[in-house]
Amino acid sequence: MKELNPLLHSQLRLAVISILMNVEEADFVYLKEKTESTAGNLSVQLDKLSSAGYISLEKGMSGKRPRTTCSITDAGRKAFEEYVEALKSYLNL
Amino acid sequence: MEDRKITEKESLEVITAMIARTKERYIGDGNIMLMWGYLIVAVTGLIWVLLATTHNPVWNWLWFLIWIIGGIATPIMDKRNRTTRGVKSYSDKVASRIWSVVGFSAIFSTFCCLGFLFVKGIDAWSMMMVFALIIVPFAEIAQGVIINEKSLVAGGSVGLAIGIFAACCIAGKVALTANWFMPLFILAFVAMMIVPGHILNRKAKRK
Repeated sequence: MKELNPLLHSQLRLAVISILMNVEEADFVYLKEKTESTAGNLSVQLDKLSSAGYISLEKGMSGKRPRTTCSITDAGRKAFEEYVEALKSYLNL
Repeated sequence: MEDRKITEKESLEVITAMIARTKERYIGDGNIMLMWGYLIVAVTGLIWVLLATTHNPVWNWLWFLIWIIGGIATPIMDKRNRTTRGVKSYSDKVASRIWSVVGFSAIFSTFCCLGFLFVKGIDAWSMMMVFALIIVPFAEIAQGVIINEKSLVAGGSVGLAIGIFAACCIAGKVALTANWFMPLFILAFVAMMIVPGHILNRKAKRK
């Protein structure tokens, strides 16, 4: 049986990747709201996904406030698809 | 939600829940559409009055006000919308690309008409009317189909019908004179931009 990608096999990181698979881009506030996570925790997990090359982070400004926009990369998309395939075999789907 | 290991079953639940949370149909407000609608109606009305009272075709240069004001205001309003919402969906991307094509074809058409005027002294400006009443309605209908919004499809269809009629007039060498064509042009943009814009705003407020 294929091993589940440990980077995605975590509640919050999997939620972030699942959201980004469905949209073109999403900002930090949107992700925080949809995942019902804390800002500190979300920030750490986004950095981990970004370091793995699964998402790209674009930091900019919205008026006077900083704004981080996230989008999934091709590597992230591939990793998610492989994760779902592995999950299917675990759940006998 | 936390950073914790989950079971395979929980993984499936997380994926399903997140897909459901991002699936909401987003129509957006109609402010950009209203800006273009009122701008076009105001400029057309102004040119119509000036042409009728002075009979001087130089007032036609005021048409450029539409591109200048609309071209500056649209990206500013679009950026503000995106920041407020926090997400850009695939349908937003498609709609944005469609309107970019409309914008670039408008610039190209304008330069073609200017080229005809300055190089050969030929007045080809009626082509811009066909552009405004055929390409713009097509883009609006496409957007309406993508986001499943009937008011855009209906408004675009009214504009397109008027555009086809205008194209027939040009082909049949019927002059598009200000006294009858300007009100028709205004009517087309009220149907295409102002009515759907208010409907979208009302729906956005209700949400």
